[in-house]
Amino acid sequence: MVTTTRESLWGWLDNLIARYPVIAPRRVEGVPLFRRIAAADEVAWDVLRTVVSPKAWLFPDSEVILEIEKRAGDVTLSEPPSAGEQILFAIRPCDARALRSLDAMLVDHSPPDVYFARRRRQVALVGLACRQPLVDCFCTSTGGAPDDPGDMDVMLYEIDKGYLVQAVTERGTSLLSGLTAAETGHAPPAPGSRGESRRMAFQTQVSVPEPAAWPAHFDDAYWARLADRCLGCRICTYVCPTCRCFDVRDYVTGAGPGIVQIQRLRAWDACLAETYRRAAGGHDPRPLKAQRLRNRFYCKFLYVPEDFGAIGCVGCGRCIAACPVNIDLSEVLAEVAQMVARRQQEQMEVFALPQTEGKVSERM
Amino acid sequence: MMDMTEMTEQIRVKARELLSKDEVACVIGYETGPRGIVRPFFAYEPDEADRLVWNDRCAHNLTTYLHDWKHPRGQSQMPPSVGIVVKACDARALNLLIQERQLTREWIYVIAVVCQGMRDGDGEEAPLQARCGRCAERTPVVHDVLVGEPTVTPARVDWSDVQALEVMTARERLAFWARQFDRCLRCYACRQACPGCYCYECLAEQVDPLWVGIGIDFSEKFFFHVMRAYHLAGRCVDCNECERVCPVNIPLSLLNRRIVREITELFDYTSGLSPDEPSPLTTFRPNEELTL
Repeated sequence: MVTTTRESLWGWLDNLIARYPVIAPRRVEGVPLFRRIAAADEVAWDVLRTVVSPKAWLFPDSEVILEIEKRAGDVTLSEPPSAGEQILFAIRPCDARALRSLDAMLVDHSPPDVYFARRRRQVALVGLACRQPLVDCFCTSTGGAPDDPGDMDVMLYEIDKGYLVQAVTERGTSLLSGLTAAETGHAPPAPGSRGESRRMAFQTQVSVPEPAAWPAHFDDAYWARLADRCLGCRICTYVCPTCRCFDVRDYVTGAGPGIVQIQRLRAWDACLAETYRRAAGGHDPRPLKAQRLRNRFYCKFLYVPEDFGAIGCVGCGRCIAACPVNIDLSEVLAEVAQMVARRQQEQMEVFALPQTEGKVSERM
Repeated sequence: MMDMTEMTEQIRVKARELLSKDEVACVIGYETGPRGIVRPFFAYEPDEADRLVWNDRCAHNLTTYLHDWKHPRGQSQMPPSVGIVVKACDARALNLLIQERQLTREWIYVIAVVCQGMRDGDGEEAPLQARCGRCAERTPVVHDVLVGEPTVTPARVDWSDVQALEVMTARERLAFWARQFDRCLRCYACRQACPGCYCYECLAEQVDPLWVGIGIDFSEKFFFHVMRAYHLAGRCVDCNECERVCPVNIPLSLLNRRIVREITELFDYTSGLSPDEPSPLTTFRPNEELTL
């Protein structure tokens, strides 16, 4: 654990940029997004949250996953080249924690998503601790902390004199070689234990209902009323750091006498989209907007924990900030918690009510 | 000028009356959420009318929700009547939908509100939204009940935003849009918020045939936005909801307003002013001569 001055850190970052593609928060026409940077001074250090999560660099919004060429009866399959080693710089703890969830869903779960897994192996995370939460941040409510280095390779903490720098992994240690330290020998802070983190006032604090509590409320009229104002767009799923649905299609990209070239493309898809669950023949098990909106919450707080043992929401607050009609995930969680409490109360009063099974038997 | 608290009260009284007498199944208006953010609200019970509010943050064009009521819950019977709070720009969208036979005027109870413009950002000193600075109406063109005192605002014709693009060369303009669309996510919020975008199946999402690929790349994004702008030619009421809801601030109004200007200058036509006046681009009169 060392401290370093701002100038030394920028010099080190410029060195990294010379060796690897470095992706960091940058203002693009005023909009904070993770983009490749060409120099340390392009980093938007003050941005606590980019509009879109950095997952897009490991799970791109669209990517070619296979090239197929058929030439006189011979079929050649080839995978596009790997992006190689990349560095996600100034990634916040919630977003890094979301990558751990994506690991559980996409890498540890069989069959693994080889395209995500390859990028994930080749990315190093240089984290930046948050000094103060935004009004709709709630990472501490989902088990995270604004200064948690747990998912990083290197963790940076802003201090008055510059930065406190922590090498978290061996990869982090080797990345840090070449950084000029001002002082050495600082003890690493335990996750979430720094005074700053404790002093932070989170305006949004929610208690997330346990997975087992959700099935009983699947048919509650609440979801239809919530969906009244839902526009049915895809903002919430596309800005979300843990949403991972996609669609795959083959496109003919070239053809000539005896030759056909095809690209297999995959691109983000969203459960909020009307076309998402439509099957061959036109059947749609989720034809209503209310069913599609409900799915988003059941996915995050029941299906993902139950199926992957991972958390479906890291409390980054992006969906809350971006929703044009203020469908507020923290408010939904509070409402569901109230529904759960009311049901428990009723069960206590009507002693004989049967307990609902923890598993949802009929997912839609 | 009527005080906004008084306007809120008038909206609540009318909504309560409509719901109590079962004249409408629902009143679509605005409420203030727990975070103090104004958002669309659907009042079904007379007591819920007291949640309705009116202030200078009621930006959403609620007429887009009327499409959900055309065929309620997937059934084919006649939809129930609906009450809706509209501003001047929203009222023109309503006329557009009536003109295009999407709605029957009698289904809708229009609570029209004289609007002094919507504001962005926090605080009372927050600036007027750009669209509101240009707005020439203030008083909605259609109403069953009018809340607020009708005002006449002199039209302020201002195409400077569009002109800034017109002076560019074609190559510069393409580069400009490439820069903007680079961050488009294809989230379709612009389309979903637009009252004029109501196809059962959008061309951009049709799967058989797949006109537009699933890729989130420039060609698909460019095609989608330009297609949408053309499909709104002569129909767009310039409410600017598409731009307001865009999560990555793409200046979509520049596309739509470029065409609005063309329609205004060629045909002296403003969409949505009347439910009867046909749109110039979908009408060909006998003996009409094209003198472009």
